[in-house]
Amino acid sequence: MFLRQREPLSFERSVPGKRGMDLPKLDVPTAKDTRPAHLKRSGFDALPELSEVEVIRHFTRLSKWNYGVDDGIYPLGSCTMKHNPRLNEKVAGMPGFTDSHPMAPDALIQGNLETLFTLQEWLKEITGLPGVTLQPSAGAAGELTGVMLIRAYHVAQGAKRRVILIPDSGHGTNPATAAMAGYEVVELPSLPDGTISFDDVTDPVNGKVRKGLKTLVNELGAEIAGAMITNPNTVGVFEYRFKEISDLLHSVGALVYMDGANMNALVGVARPGDFGVDVMHLNLHKTMSTPHGGGGPGAGPVCCVEKLVPFLPVPVVVRDTVKVGEGEVPKHSYRWDWNRPQSIGKVHTFYGNFGILVRALTYCLSHGSDGLKEATLRAIVNANYIRARLKGAYALHIDSPSLHEVVFSDTLQAKHDVHTLDIAKRLIDHGYHPPTIYFPLIVPGALMIEPTESEGKDELDAFCDTMLAIAKEVETDPEALHQAPTLAPLRRMDETTAARKPVLRWTKA
Amino acid sequence: MRYLPSSPAEDRALLDTIGVPRAEDLLVGIPESLRLKGGLDLPAQGSEQEVTWQMLDLANRNTRFCAQFLGAGAYDHFVPSAIDAMVSRQEWFTAYTPYQPEISQGTLQHIFEYQTLICDLTGLDVTNASLYDGGTACVETALMAVRVQKKRNTVLVSRGLHPLYRQVLATNFAPHDDLKLVEVDLKDGVTDLADLQAKLNGDVAAVMVGYPNFLGAVEDLTALAGPVHAAGALLVSVTQEALAFGWLEAPGKAGADMACGEAMSFGNKPNFGGPYLGFLAVKDAHKREIPGRVVGQTKDLDGRTGYVLTLTAREQHIRRDKATSNICSNQGLVALRANIYLQVAGPEGLKGLAEQNVAKAQYLRQRLLELPDMEPVFDHPFFNEFVLRYKGDMAALQEACLAESLLPGLDLGRFYPEYQGCILWCATELHTRRMIESLVEILARVPATV
Repeated sequence: MFLRQREPLSFERSVPGKRGMDLPKLDVPTAKDTRPAHLKRSGFDALPELSEVEVIRHFTRLSKWNYGVDDGIYPLGSCTMKHNPRLNEKVAGMPGFTDSHPMAPDALIQGNLETLFTLQEWLKEITGLPGVTLQPSAGAAGELTGVMLIRAYHVAQGAKRRVILIPDSGHGTNPATAAMAGYEVVELPSLPDGTISFDDVTDPVNGKVRKGLKTLVNELGAEIAGAMITNPNTVGVFEYRFKEISDLLHSVGALVYMDGANMNALVGVARPGDFGVDVMHLNLHKTMSTPHGGGGPGAGPVCCVEKLVPFLPVPVVVRDTVKVGEGEVPKHSYRWDWNRPQSIGKVHTFYGNFGILVRALTYCLSHGSDGLKEATLRAIVNANYIRARLKGAYALHIDSPSLHEVVFSDTLQAKHDVHTLDIAKRLIDHGYHPPTIYFPLIVPGALMIEPTESEGKDELDAFCDTMLAIAKEVETDPEALHQAPTLAPLRRMDETTAARKPVLRWTKA
Repeated sequence: MRYLPSSPAEDRALLDTIGVPRAEDLLVGIPESLRLKGGLDLPAQGSEQEVTWQMLDLANRNTRFCAQFLGAGAYDHFVPSAIDAMVSRQEWFTAYTPYQPEISQGTLQHIFEYQTLICDLTGLDVTNASLYDGGTACVETALMAVRVQKKRNTVLVSRGLHPLYRQVLATNFAPHDDLKLVEVDLKDGVTDLADLQAKLNGDVAAVMVGYPNFLGAVEDLTALAGPVHAAGALLVSVTQEALAFGWLEAPGKAGADMACGEAMSFGNKPNFGGPYLGFLAVKDAHKREIPGRVVGQTKDLDGRTGYVLTLTAREQHIRRDKATSNICSNQGLVALRANIYLQVAGPEGLKGLAEQNVAKAQYLRQRLLELPDMEPVFDHPFFNEFVLRYKGDMAALQEACLAESLLPGLDLGRFYPEYQGCILWCATELHTRRMIESLVEILARVPATV
């Protein structure tokens, strides 16, 4: 990590005549050129000419400027950066999986279908919800699928409904998703601990009254298609009135969507299906530890109640059981069911990020019912340990019991003109990836820390000691924080110019 | 559990510092009545050895083939060893989204290079850090076209687009009562110009055509651009086999205003349909309406060149319900595979591979046409896929191929009633002459139609 030499863009290294790939000998006649003259490839402006050695070195050097989970604690709140078991990578690379074609007949892909079916069974039991689709490729895609299920349900009931309620503490994806699904977003005010306010809230600054859940349900009633609620919410607090919220929404025929981004705090401990959730997504790259890959691929399966099952995306994997003689083990076969007249259709070209789903099932089998619950509890213990050790040195914005993550604010440091961004950048100098910063928006200067279950006491202590040292440094040498990072390959970046005069690709000089 | 690092004594110390006797005591925030009573009804944890065997058993339950002559949006190409070796470095696969640029320059510079290559291949100015797959890239492109075309609300979609891409488009357009998706017919395997002209009007924001299309035919983008532009609409080319860019002119140089599609062919196996690599590229004028992540070049405080996520004012974490899309990830690792693939291939490798694909497909077609039951259907230039009509018994053909561990092409009747009895065949650089000859020999033995 932190190689301090420069690595030029590969295009700047290109030298005509170099080759990084040898082609097999052509054992059939050369192609006849059938293209119209104006559709013949005219050439390339950027594709570099490099040897394999140079390409390998280029990407190896670049990789050393990254921070990965194997480098140490990756305390990004809400992102759930936990250990990525190598077994999961090995399994996903098994040729039986990787070589299989998505258009192959069902009889030839029984292993894939059973893999998907089995993962679905695990997710049903974990969420307590009887319907699943594995098709969405990421959390945001899962949200969109879930909200489209809500819409399809209401349309089938003969009433379109136009509003989705979303708390101001929610992820930005929630309102963006509702808009993509054709809904108008009405914001629900949250209380200081991020939980939804039933009553109207008066803004202490401008005196404006924001309508709470009760008022909105009374006034909008049958216009409400549903609500999107993150639980545990974005400050790591369980929405303790969830059942009342869902009862209230159900009383006007609205459905409840749960953003499952923080489901890793509930697995084996509580099931959304038991507290009134109608539909939710899971982020398998969080909850099931599939690798984040520098931003993807992820997977965002959607689980739902029975009445939404007819609307699930096509195709749905089905298990048929062949009757056998008494005392024998029943034989199963699997197939895709495309004949689902009420389905919303397809949300991915094929069946989702299959390779990620294979990793998730491997994670489930490795953990088992006991390991899953243990992982949840350890994640909660680790977060509360950090909370206990850093409390006092950093302002704890809320005092409610928190689960898998803890949110501090920079109010104690702000007196010295040191802010969350400075603290984050100083952590880099100490060899740590910073926590999530300035989110959720309801906490001023938020520092959201999620250690996950993958950290042992030593690693937690080292991180806490560093955070405490930084808190001291704020008082003695605030300028050091303003200058941070100084030990990374680069110092702070000019993001304003980047956005004002965007340079989004290399061009030949 | 092998993935949990604290010892029982350390756990005790953690709980003591927190000040609770048991981990369960930290669940106080969850009302008792909402907690799960008893455990999950699932099997107990498995050792690495047990899980390996269990998963290997599942993998082995899929039928393996000596050769697959099936493409249809998922192409089997050779994957250079450099790719798996590089992508398995933890710095690439375990890292997160590069929100902190000083500690993520590896990922950021890689995406900047990837963006450069996608622009190069498509002949357009701006792209993003990648999208989920071909079908969802079509959705983002169509919605973007409607956004930039302000008062126009209709997108025309050629029936030559991958049928599953069209299904994904339909799903995502359904919630928008104000938007219209209209199909344009095919004639002789390419977009019907007369039908297109009849459907072009002042409401049409964009026209999407396959390049090459699902039936393998190379659509003449330049010829289509005339009427599309005359009607004030944007021409969108949709490519499901990105390797074709090594042979075909860049869509941006052939008349397209936007290009999107699927680039899984660059360094991935078919993988049962995912993870794949959606791409979208547009002209400079449209850059602030693009969905998804974008990386830009800038300087640090000392004037050194570096890279950051940029144009974030379009994105959901800032704009919320006014964002250009809800997407907040990309297919990072798959984009990395494509980047490495393209850099290893270089211009000569890419052109050479593309030429080999054309040669193999032409040879396959020629040999198949020697069979009495095979007939040509269209006469368009094609890249690595083409359609033939089979007069024999489709089920018998399937069975004969499978018995010899060959996966035949796609029975088109499944998606196009008008092409009942036709097969979409595919050949890539992986198909040796011997494999092609075996296929022909096997098909020659299929019993004639009764």
